[in-house]
Amino acid sequence: MSVDLDHKPLLTHEIGSLDKPGWRVKAYAGQPLSDRDLEEARAWGERLKVPDYERLIDLLRHAPFSKEQKSDLQRWSSLYALKLEEGAGLDVVYDGEQQRTEMYDWAVSHSDGFERRGSVRAFDNKYYTKAAVVAPISLRTPFHNAEFSYLVSVADAELKIPVTGAYTIADWSFDERYDVDTDLREPAADRRRKRKAARRDFVLEIARNLIRPNLMALIGLGARWIQVDEPGASTEPDELDLFVDSFNASVEGLNAMFSTHLCFSDYNLFFPAIERMSQCRQFAVGFANYDSRELGTTDQARPGYHVIKKFADLPYKPALGLGVLDIHSDFIESPELVRDRVLYAVNVFGDPARIHVTPDCGLRTRSWEVAFKKLRNMTAGVALARQELGLKDPAR
Amino acid sequence: MASTRGLDRGRVDADAVEAAFAEDLAAFVRLQQKSGLDVFSDGLLRWQDIFRPLVDALGAAKPESLVRWFDTNTFFREPELSGALAGVNHADGLLPDASVPRPRVATLPSPFMFSRAARTDRDRNQLMVDLAGTVLRPVVDAAVAAGCQLVHLEDPWIGYFGIESKDWAPLREALELLHRDLRATLAFHVYFGDAGPHVDQLRRLPVDAIGVDLVETDVNELGSGWDKGLVAGVIDGRSSMLESLENTVEVARHLADTVRPRNLYLSSNCELAFLPTVVAEQKVQRLGEAAKRVKQLVSV
Repeated sequence: MSVDLDHKPLLTHEIGSLDKPGWRVKAYAGQPLSDRDLEEARAWGERLKVPDYERLIDLLRHAPFSKEQKSDLQRWSSLYALKLEEGAGLDVVYDGEQQRTEMYDWAVSHSDGFERRGSVRAFDNKYYTKAAVVAPISLRTPFHNAEFSYLVSVADAELKIPVTGAYTIADWSFDERYDVDTDLREPAADRRRKRKAARRDFVLEIARNLIRPNLMALIGLGARWIQVDEPGASTEPDELDLFVDSFNASVEGLNAMFSTHLCFSDYNLFFPAIERMSQCRQFAVGFANYDSRELGTTDQARPGYHVIKKFADLPYKPALGLGVLDIHSDFIESPELVRDRVLYAVNVFGDPARIHVTPDCGLRTRSWEVAFKKLRNMTAGVALARQELGLKDPAR
Repeated sequence: MASTRGLDRGRVDADAVEAAFAEDLAAFVRLQQKSGLDVFSDGLLRWQDIFRPLVDALGAAKPESLVRWFDTNTFFREPELSGALAGVNHADGLLPDASVPRPRVATLPSPFMFSRAARTDRDRNQLMVDLAGTVLRPVVDAAVAAGCQLVHLEDPWIGYFGIESKDWAPLREALELLHRDLRATLAFHVYFGDAGPHVDQLRRLPVDAIGVDLVETDVNELGSGWDKGLVAGVIDGRSSMLESLENTVEVARHLADTVRPRNLYLSSNCELAFLPTVVAEQKVQRLGEAAKRVKQLVSV
């Protein structure tokens, strides 16, 4: 991957997660597999032209699985997801985080200093497991090395590694170490002040002692594009400077392309704080969730995208990963709708090299069928936009 | 959790989900009884967010956009309430299950918050009044008929975003629609922010009790000599740290002595949905312990 990847016009990529196939979930959990599960593995293997997928089918017929076989199944799942993304025509791919439990849990369960507390709802029937920080934080072992090394060996397309960021890990955790004084008789202003100071210590300790060494390990393995996922970044509007400080503390001086992913927020809140994030070469941001489904490239037709002007004006001129797929809906965006969203953004930025095209967020809440259709239409929509703009098809 | 997630993925059938809900509700009721709580909740276990069953009952457009629930990592589907409001056409899923002991509490969004959180092309204050009269009042009446003696209106909007001075009068109008001839206690609970700057206006609202988030609000800002009840949010629904019993009792005593509300209700500062079940259970127990201790002290 070249260091000028961030200047490739209308480059396409996924954000991170994909759903885990039923055969992978059941096999890993030691549950019996049905004929339907095997057929799912066969059908997708054939459809995505997964090399030697018959070996997976054969393996799935031989339950129960040893620990080694379960690891093998996780790699198969990674390979399938990688081929789904490549098959959809994405320029930059990963494995849908198939080897991770979930973006937050995977990180804290490979770190020292946290204890799991249980699950809570995120939305609808989607939940995530929360932990509490209880002791000094450190990296137990680099926790993306194994998946990355495997993917390097099987990917045809370029790779981008999603890594959960420091601020989000702190925001999704309970604090049982830094801010433990809960005496309601104290003046509320004093309590708030102590809480803010504690939060700063917590976030920056994660950045320095957990994220940064993990990034260094990946770079040591040859990683060139690392996406720091920060879906929680704007949760506390008065902590955006802290989010920026944590990003900078995580990546400062490291030699790779760094980007960040933001979603489901009032993006106006990020300004001016992110003007200090000059090492961030791309912001991948979800917009489709807020947009109309009507065609058109005017301001009126694209209400979800008005804020992109602010990203265009950032002084260090990062690319914008333009979210064009609503990941919370089975609605399949047409290529024409994707095209119009892209054309609108290109017009605002005045430079297609600064527009990349992505889903709003990870697609793990959608079935593979829906995710595949959405991603295929996304790349088809980009092809239409290229045509409209007179851009050549990129060479892989 | 596992059942509903499995249902979404076609791996669990609806009967299994029903059984899981029943089991969870029974456990929650047992916990409340064991903890000595005075008013019982169904925990809104079936509610995916505070608006969803109401929007369903309205027959409004299926909400699509996910919006962050204030400064949490929880999201709600933004209600689409453009145009004229229809009345609620059923109460399915809106009332506590028959297995919940009496007296019961019904928890609903405040009309102010509902009108601000919705996507609408209407004047929001007019929408608020309409929501109170057309949507919330029929549900409140049904809830009271079903044994709810406390109607608890949640309003994190005022705590988090504030309220413009011109909006207080329409809010009073909306609440009057809910309070008039109501044979239950109506509480208006401000949380996720400091209620201190709003105390004077809150005390003038036509409700029976005002709720405050004491994690965010200074106890000394509440004034004294209330002619209303006070729902004191003394248990932090967003922290996994268990509150000290002594501190909680002391705060309650302080409130009883200085604020001198007509009634003092001890509560969490917000919903407990942000806590894992095990932690939430500990908090409910602590709430019960604190209430018991305060009652003993008051009766001495």
